[in-house]
Amino acid sequence: MTPFRRSVVAILVAAFVLAPLPLFAGGYALHVMTIGFYYVILAASWNLLAGYTGQFSLAHHAFAAVGAYTSGLLGYHLGVSPWLGIPAGVLLSAALGFVLGRLVLRMRSIYLAIATWAFAETVHIYLTADYGFTRGELGLSVKPLWGNVDPLPYYYTFLGLTVLLLIGMRALIDSPLGYFMRAIKDDELRARSLGIDTTRVKVAIFSISSAIAGLAGAVYGHYTVLLTPQTVDFSEMAKIVIMVVIGGFGTFLGPIIGAAPVQIVMTWLQKYGEWDLAVFALIVILLMRFSMEGLASVFAPFWRRIWARHA
Amino acid sequence: MKELLSVDAIHAAYQSGVDILQGMSLTVPEGGFVLVIGPNGAGKSTLLKTVFGLLVAHRGRIALGGQAIGGLAPHTIKRLGVSYVPQELNTFPHLTVEENLRVGGWTLRREPKLLRERIAKVHDIFPVLAARRRDKAGSLSGGQGRMLSVAREMITEPRLMLVDEPTVGLAPNLAEQVYELLQTARKAIATTILLVDQNVSDALRHAEDVVMMNLGKVKAAGPVGEFGETRVRELIQECLLG
Repeated sequence: MTPFRRSVVAILVAAFVLAPLPLFAGGYALHVMTIGFYYVILAASWNLLAGYTGQFSLAHHAFAAVGAYTSGLLGYHLGVSPWLGIPAGVLLSAALGFVLGRLVLRMRSIYLAIATWAFAETVHIYLTADYGFTRGELGLSVKPLWGNVDPLPYYYTFLGLTVLLLIGMRALIDSPLGYFMRAIKDDELRARSLGIDTTRVKVAIFSISSAIAGLAGAVYGHYTVLLTPQTVDFSEMAKIVIMVVIGGFGTFLGPIIGAAPVQIVMTWLQKYGEWDLAVFALIVILLMRFSMEGLASVFAPFWRRIWARHA
Repeated sequence: MKELLSVDAIHAAYQSGVDILQGMSLTVPEGGFVLVIGPNGAGKSTLLKTVFGLLVAHRGRIALGGQAIGGLAPHTIKRLGVSYVPQELNTFPHLTVEENLRVGGWTLRREPKLLRERIAKVHDIFPVLAARRRDKAGSLSGGQGRMLSVAREMITEPRLMLVDEPTVGLAPNLAEQVYELLQTARKAIATTILLVDQNVSDALRHAEDVVMMNLGKVKAAGPVGEFGETRVRELIQECLLG
């Protein structure tokens, strides 16, 4: 079986295991799981850019906010239905990703990180400052996607979305674009000397990952029903980075198994205020020091054994 | 013979004001094998980088088959049929041997059928690459790595291959294999080779024409017959003593 089919089988098995969860778990558990799926999507799509292509962007949370606010503002000001608002949010995120990508993706590592971070801060400041339009810190109230905010339908919405997007991302990684991405991460100058249009590949991946973040953000906005500039707070980006690093940077499994546990532990640590990020920063430092491969490296041998038996 | 590449009095620099190439000129005939030699710092590698568009010549003209290519991006030059094999081993260690070959096929990315045929052709020529297709390129030996980097450039069947010091750091017997590899490539896909090399005596046995560079321009040029061991030694002495 090809790696792509193996991953699809594993994703579907995981989905079937998670599907009956609402039979056993209460509303709060479903709520936490739904948020977990949201972060799986954000972490996996950021990993596509940072882990697979080597472009360390710090604007991923901003693209999620662009998706959420686009749909939210269209609904708030013009009464547009979420079913049109969400695609509009995805399109705008992709377009902004394309434009920002053209501007910054020629830069190297640290400059790219700084430029994308500056973009995110600009979005943050705009959402706060133009409160007449965005409602700023007062918060923008958004219509729920399914009429009310009972977590059950949202749980399935996010489960389905996560499954589809993960399969899509796996297909991308195994496509020709996927090995051009990995070639760029391995050594960009080498890739360029092979005649690969590296800027084009990077801009394509940046647009795709921004669109995915925009989609997740837009749908999530219609679940939380209140948007604030807090969604573009740097701690959100830090959370995504932490999830990917703990799960396994540049591995497909990493963000999937990193996001949910980090989200759950962070929810639990909330009562200690801002200390949650400090705790995770310490974990990330230790992981970087001892094993860059994160949790995924723990699972990798089992994964290989499962398929070796069926080969 | 028809000329394929013509470089006419180009000046190029990594830093403005410090020209490495100072009026460099050469012509490469279609189907030829031209060897560029010269002391360290003569600008040999810079010449290849400039032809491939990794560096832009701020004066002079570069033409491929009569079409000006100066100032074009590497991927555009690649599409016009030029390949570049840099000096350092340039395979991607974390990609498999087969993925490395596919990465060379950027210009064929929308023609999967043709890409498959070309890969099959390369596998026929170099069976060891077929046998190790699923191994990571990082696990190949030095000679096999070289083979992969040349084979990868053959995927697009370029008209011109720019090869920079392919035998650096290889044992003498492996070096000979690399030259044979280039000859194989030349015959298999009817390409032209512009080779830069420090390993002068071995490279001379394979080349047809020789260009000797010094201080960013041509010191001497002509058919390989004019470049006997003694003449080369004299020329290098002249270069070094000024």
